[in-house]
Amino acid sequence: MIEIENLQKIYRMGNVEVRALDGVTLGIEKGEFLGVMGASGSGKTTLLHMMGLLDEPTSGRIVIDSTEISHLNDYEKTMFRLYKLGYVFQDYALVPDLTVMENVSLPGMLRKDRTEKEYREASIDILTKIGLIDRQDHLPRELSGGQQQRVSIARAIVNKPDILFADEPCANLDTENSRMVLDLFREINEEMKQTIVMVSHEDWHKEYFHRIIRLQDGKVVSDGKCGE
Amino acid sequence: MGKKELKVAFLLALRSLQRGSRSSVILTVLIIGMCFTNMIFLPSLFNGIEQSITKQLVDYEVGNVLVSPKSGDQYVNDLGGTLALINGLPGVERATPHYTEGATFTYRQRILGVSVRAIMPEDETYVSPLYTKMIAGDYLGNGDTGEIIIGKPVAGDANIRPEDEYQPSLGGVRVGDSVTVAYANGFTRNYRVKGIYSTGWSEADSAAYVSWTDMEQVLGKPLDQASTITVKAKPGYSETFVKNELIQYGVADTVQTTTDLLSKSLGTAFQSFAIINLVSLIVSIIITTVVLFIVITIKTLNSRRQIGILKAIGVDKEVIMHNYGFQVIILAILGIILGIFLTMLLAVYMTIHPVVTPAWSATLYLTPMDIVTNSLILFVAALVAGYVPAYQVSREDIQTAMRA
Repeated sequence: MIEIENLQKIYRMGNVEVRALDGVTLGIEKGEFLGVMGASGSGKTTLLHMMGLLDEPTSGRIVIDSTEISHLNDYEKTMFRLYKLGYVFQDYALVPDLTVMENVSLPGMLRKDRTEKEYREASIDILTKIGLIDRQDHLPRELSGGQQQRVSIARAIVNKPDILFADEPCANLDTENSRMVLDLFREINEEMKQTIVMVSHEDWHKEYFHRIIRLQDGKVVSDGKCGE
Repeated sequence: MGKKELKVAFLLALRSLQRGSRSSVILTVLIIGMCFTNMIFLPSLFNGIEQSITKQLVDYEVGNVLVSPKSGDQYVNDLGGTLALINGLPGVERATPHYTEGATFTYRQRILGVSVRAIMPEDETYVSPLYTKMIAGDYLGNGDTGEIIIGKPVAGDANIRPEDEYQPSLGGVRVGDSVTVAYANGFTRNYRVKGIYSTGWSEADSAAYVSWTDMEQVLGKPLDQASTITVKAKPGYSETFVKNELIQYGVADTVQTTTDLLSKSLGTAFQSFAIINLVSLIVSIIITTVVLFIVITIKTLNSRRQIGILKAIGVDKEVIMHNYGFQVIILAILGIILGIFLTMLLAVYMTIHPVVTPAWSATLYLTPMDIVTNSLILFVAALVAGYVPAYQVSREDIQTAMRA
């Protein structure tokens, strides 16, 4: 599903060179629930952004579903993100002026292969699944943090993406809400065979992952099945 | 950019305006409305003044074409022949002569110099609406002698002291009163004031009118000459057509249209109006452009992270740009509607309370073309002001936007 070869990301701040990713090579299988863990500044989010086409690597190669990412132009990358990828961000990142229903429907609205009826039905289904159908006309500010994150997950999976990327989705949530979100991820992964790549620094999250890679100073220092 | 993308851009724009800062929307619409009003008010007022002056010149001085003595002559001679010739031409509704004689009016202790215009009262009604402007008494008849109609400023007001008057008057003449008129040729006659009129055109209001027959008695001879001949064109015939016709058919005197006369007398003033209009227009456009630019720039800067998120979830940069573009379009349309409403209110107010000066009175002169043109100018300015910051921010890479 995802093939990464010798990925490097170097930031230059004046004369200082920071190697956020330093030769990462990685493969991710379809249906995997992968945890990317590591200390702050280890390069977890940078790696996620590279895989999610949100940032350009300095060097290296990323192939997703047989598509060489570096060959895509800006518009093709946008369409790739729309059709193939889903994102859940730490701070929910919902559009504040749109209702829950509008937020969830937004990616569907833009897809050329979806009619209005289809994306509406998909949004209703997903909101029903996450238990927020009764809040469909509410604005994000009228929801709790946990509810907002569930809406964010609904928006990410409404298009049935090939891969779901989650960047510390529980960072702003208490344990109860975190568990609710992680249970939802597990359910999606198991029921829909959804590939999920999730960044986390909470040790207790690893019980949810099939596989964990640990990063340190931009390098993969461990890669193994959960419990290994 | 497909229909779906435009639909999403419009939805984002609409929701942002509906659910974003209401005060910001109201303030922006108000500013655009004010700018539109400013753009259209001054030109409309100047147009109103121009129209007013032109109309009054046409109504009380020129008709549509003025025949005046040729260079070196004091009068238009062979009046009978000239009138017969002009009145026989196809484009002419009616030609009527004016003969002006200086005179001194005496009423009680007041003495006043006034121009007396001799007219053919019935013919004059085809050329001038003077007969509709009587505020007291009656208009002249063709055979009236010893009767005169005078302008309201000449008649004056008995309740105003001489030192408080804007211009000297006879101090309160009323219909039926007798005034003594001493003409420049030494002839003196007592006239019964048959009527008092008010046209709003100072040249006419500061004069007095007698019948042609009366003037013939004053001069002691048949009057076959005129100071001027005013010619009214038939509907559908242009002033230039009539002028050319007169020249072509051998009217040897000076023939000028209203436009010719206006360009000579008020051409510089009208040019100044045009310059002031242009300056006012440019200032309004700059204000609108700057305000919208600032509003959209602030909006985009405050939404940079959200823009990054939208791009991350697969919203194309064109959709994001058009989102702000649509916001500007909606704001501009609302502002222009408000501006048109405010302008209409002003127009109604000024119809009821026109700008009145001793020389002319003016209301706002608005044409649909003025409204359409100014709306389009403002709309284009708004588009430029909105799309420039929207274009810039939509091109920003996702990482930079998301870190904002």
